[in-house]
Amino acid sequence: MVSINEKLQCGVVGIAGLGGLGSTVAVALTRAGVGKLIIVDFDHVDKSNLSRQQYFTDQIGKTKVEALTENLQRINSDVEVIGYQQRLNAGSVPEIFADADVIAECFDKAEEKRMIVETVLSRMDKPIVVTVSGLAGYGNSNTIQTRRISKRLILVGDGKSGIDSCKVLTASRVGIAACHQANAIIEVLIDEINK
Amino acid sequence: METLKINGVEKEFAAGIPATVVELLKQLDIEAATVVAEIDGQIVEQAKFDQAALRKGQSIELIRFVPGG
Repeated sequence: MVSINEKLQCGVVGIAGLGGLGSTVAVALTRAGVGKLIIVDFDHVDKSNLSRQQYFTDQIGKTKVEALTENLQRINSDVEVIGYQQRLNAGSVPEIFADADVIAECFDKAEEKRMIVETVLSRMDKPIVVTVSGLAGYGNSNTIQTRRISKRLILVGDGKSGIDSCKVLTASRVGIAACHQANAIIEVLIDEINK
Repeated sequence: METLKINGVEKEFAAGIPATVVELLKQLDIEAATVVAEIDGQIVEQAKFDQAALRKGQSIELIRFVPGG
């Protein structure tokens, strides 16, 4: 009988984008004891990120990959973190996430979200993708839901609250969506990938 | 009446179901640039939306992305 901790320990999760969603998903998975994270973001930590992303004032200017790797290893020195500081596209996604059991889509732009979901489902055979649409604004905690669309696609969000229409991203509401994502990933690792 | 199941809900098409995913998105007034489509659990690539023929009774998932992350 494989224990839950052992199932999480042998899990490999890709995280595409290290903003409000991705950095929070990474922290939750690291605390839960997921063994290996493949984290990808082209950007640097900016002061404006600190309102909702898992970075600190003394990390402003560092790459998000470097800053998040430091923070994750301070939480759990056993976590293996593979970082890529680059933009992802349909060509690089299958290569970078080749080992992943699950991929968390944590991008900001709608078109990039679409790109990664389509790429994982059409050009990769194995990983499940957990994606998010609709997390902007404040309040309305219970409209954010997790829905299994198909065998390899899980969708989180309220489906409508974009940053374009809601104007604001809050640590609390983005955090709810991110923890829905992390929770779905943990469930999949325990009940499906390493069952 | 011909129907498609769209995001879990049966929808009737009085004039027959649309021929392709592109036609379906037009009828529903959905912007194709930010949509992922699955037919009976299989992904349809955006580049093939105009070739993906629809048949009555199929189950279609249309995931519409809004920005924020």
